[in-house]
Amino acid sequence: MMNALNRIWGLVKKEFLQLGRDKLLLAFVLLAPLLELTLMGSLTGEGVQNLPLAVVDLDRSQASRELITRLDQTDELFIKAYGDSVAQAQEWMQAGQVAVIVVVPPGYGEALTDPQQSAEVQVVADGSNQVVSSAAIGTTENVAAEIVHDLTARHGVAGGGVVELRFVARFNAALDDRPNAITMMLALIVYQVTLVIAAQSLTRERELGTMEQLRVTPLGRLELMAGKTIPTLLVGLVNCLLMTGVIVLWFDVPMRGSLLLLLLLTIPFILAQIGWGTLISLISRTQQQAMLFVFALAMLEIACSGFLVPAGDLSGVMQALSCVSSIRHYMTIVRGVTLRGAGLGVLWQPALSLSGIACAVVTLAWLRLRLGLDADSLRQRLQVAWHVHQRRRRMRRVERRAKTARRHGVQKPRPTREPAYVDVRVEDQ
Amino acid sequence: MSIRRLFSILVKEYRHILREPRTLWMVFLSPAFVLIALSTVFASGSGRINLVLWDQDHTPLSRQFATTLSSDNDFSVGRASGYEEVETLLVEQRIDAALIIPPGFADTVQSGDSASVQVILDGVDTLVAGQTTGSLLGHAADFGLALSRQLSLPPLPLQVRSQSAYLPSTAERESMIPGLIPIVFSLPVMAAALALARERETGSLESLIATPVRGLEYLGGKLIAYVTAALVGLLPVWLVATLLFGVPFRGNPLLLVVLAADFLLASVGMALFVGNVAHSQQTTTVIALFIFFVPGFFLAGLIDPIDTTDLPGTAVSYALPSTHFVTICRALFLKGASLAEMWQPALALLVLSIAWVGLGALTFKKRMRQ
Repeated sequence: MMNALNRIWGLVKKEFLQLGRDKLLLAFVLLAPLLELTLMGSLTGEGVQNLPLAVVDLDRSQASRELITRLDQTDELFIKAYGDSVAQAQEWMQAGQVAVIVVVPPGYGEALTDPQQSAEVQVVADGSNQVVSSAAIGTTENVAAEIVHDLTARHGVAGGGVVELRFVARFNAALDDRPNAITMMLALIVYQVTLVIAAQSLTRERELGTMEQLRVTPLGRLELMAGKTIPTLLVGLVNCLLMTGVIVLWFDVPMRGSLLLLLLLTIPFILAQIGWGTLISLISRTQQQAMLFVFALAMLEIACSGFLVPAGDLSGVMQALSCVSSIRHYMTIVRGVTLRGAGLGVLWQPALSLSGIACAVVTLAWLRLRLGLDADSLRQRLQVAWHVHQRRRRMRRVERRAKTARRHGVQKPRPTREPAYVDVRVEDQ
Repeated sequence: MSIRRLFSILVKEYRHILREPRTLWMVFLSPAFVLIALSTVFASGSGRINLVLWDQDHTPLSRQFATTLSSDNDFSVGRASGYEEVETLLVEQRIDAALIIPPGFADTVQSGDSASVQVILDGVDTLVAGQTTGSLLGHAADFGLALSRQLSLPPLPLQVRSQSAYLPSTAERESMIPGLIPIVFSLPVMAAALALARERETGSLESLIATPVRGLEYLGGKLIAYVTAALVGLLPVWLVATLLFGVPFRGNPLLLVVLAADFLLASVGMALFVGNVAHSQQTTTVIALFIFFVPGFFLAGLIDPIDTTDLPGTAVSYALPSTHFVTICRALFLKGASLAEMWQPALALLVLSIAWVGLGALTFKKRMRQ
């Protein structure tokens, strides 16, 4: 036991030495996460802002000017141009210069003050980007609702909608996008760093030929895996801790739950990535392949994570896949701990799923390492089995023929027997 | 610069790509497969919004409101009574929002005033919150309209008639797919970065230095090999987008190929730069993921449009080739834009491709002398 620990410790030391030697890698593993998080955290999370708007004012009344000013004053829109006709504004949209067109029809001002009539404003949004178009339409509707509200107050005209909804957002009162985006980034960065380190470390040993040296040391397979796992786990945890510090102290994301719980539940998340990484490194022959597998897997995970569409909206297949996506469960945990202040009593479900995934993937990776089930040896085994099968069949056919020949009393020359060895061609690497 | 030597490097690179089935698959076909995976996510939103309703009014009208809400397929409505219950449900993430109908709801409506219903949203996932808000507002407007007809109230003084150009507002998937095309091409692009780092790490670059092949020829061969390989992969991607997911393609196919080549040139140039700077393949992978993966989703204007008022951020966004290609793909597929209508992103791509390839070539020369 002591010896095993010693051997693992040796490997861990070696891994850290290697990491420390490559200054650029060290910088990208420890500093780049913080830098990227800070940069992107300050960039995203504002939501949709400053969409260019073209106004076609065919009414030119005081009321229409008031509407236009109000539209310009919103965070989401700013007036880029005034058009004379709808066609002209549409040309601008085609060229991508404006994202929204607001058309105020003639007679707008009169209809607005006439209680019997209802004024109408037309909004055309660029549907080639649905985020933009829905934000633009929503903003215009809000401005219209404000105007109606003011009118009711000023003139006592009935209206203002029969049922009004008053929204109160819990946990994130301003409905700020930033906590949402930045916790997602934290998870993604921890994910990519740990997955890459795990996936490349074994492939690298294999590609550079140092795996063979490791094989002749007394290091067992399990010890090898443990020695490779510990540094990655530590790097991931340090990353997570540093980035949590940044999002709480710098970006004012509240930390309502326990930091210890968050770190504790980060462990199965990282272990799952190490499992995936080890699996990838056992499948791929070169680091190039490993990287492509990493990227493909990362894309799948991000698709299922609820980042592009709400997780509840996924289609059937994706819904099933998203249950085994570690990033999705981890997102629930991160947001639960930081924003909701949830404890383990509430988060037991994602925590259990995450641990389950981690156990399954790590076991799979270990089995793969244990049985040496990489693609080449699998192919060789299959080839051997196929040849053996073929040989048995031929033998049986020969025996059958010999039997019938004996029964009919026909003397036939004895067929030559197949050679007894199995011919397996091993492809050169 | 000799064409013959460049060509021999090109042939060597192609042999690298073609001899391994896994690399072959990854370089040519993986963009199409990743696009399928990312796009199926946008399948028709079947997910329901989970609500609880707390009716404090207990009148026929409030019950009518509850019934119309329950009969709507977008919502799955439960019952609650008390703020504590609502709070627990929210923390446990069992509901997306809670609606509270205040006492006196029916009286207010019947007197002609607007009655308010309180909605407590789960604000954590703003994507879900936005969806919930939109659906509830739409529902309240419909209910109000039906009610005002029933009570013969005067019409609203101002109405907004909205219209979505190029695509109907329900076609979320179709609007998203062109924007995803640049990011799925990160796979072959990153393969180029690793191809360069690999030769340095395994030492085969040193044998190449001993041959008459010059740095530029070597780099050019690699660049052309990976750009053309990725361009071949554009066809399956285009087929997946138009045939499988029914995204309209209204532009000029030739223009798409030319601009895609320009985009790939810029991206592969960037990748070669990364491959030059990094000492090992592991470092290259880490850097490449930092540059292509997270920014590809967050900075390229894929979800939120780029806010041009923030200067340093805009500069970083615009230095990424995929930012411009997202704009181009959307314009070409959905708007059928001509080159004159999108000269800005096209020009930006051209400048970027020259800059990144140049940077790649410059850093490479330096490393050869060491």
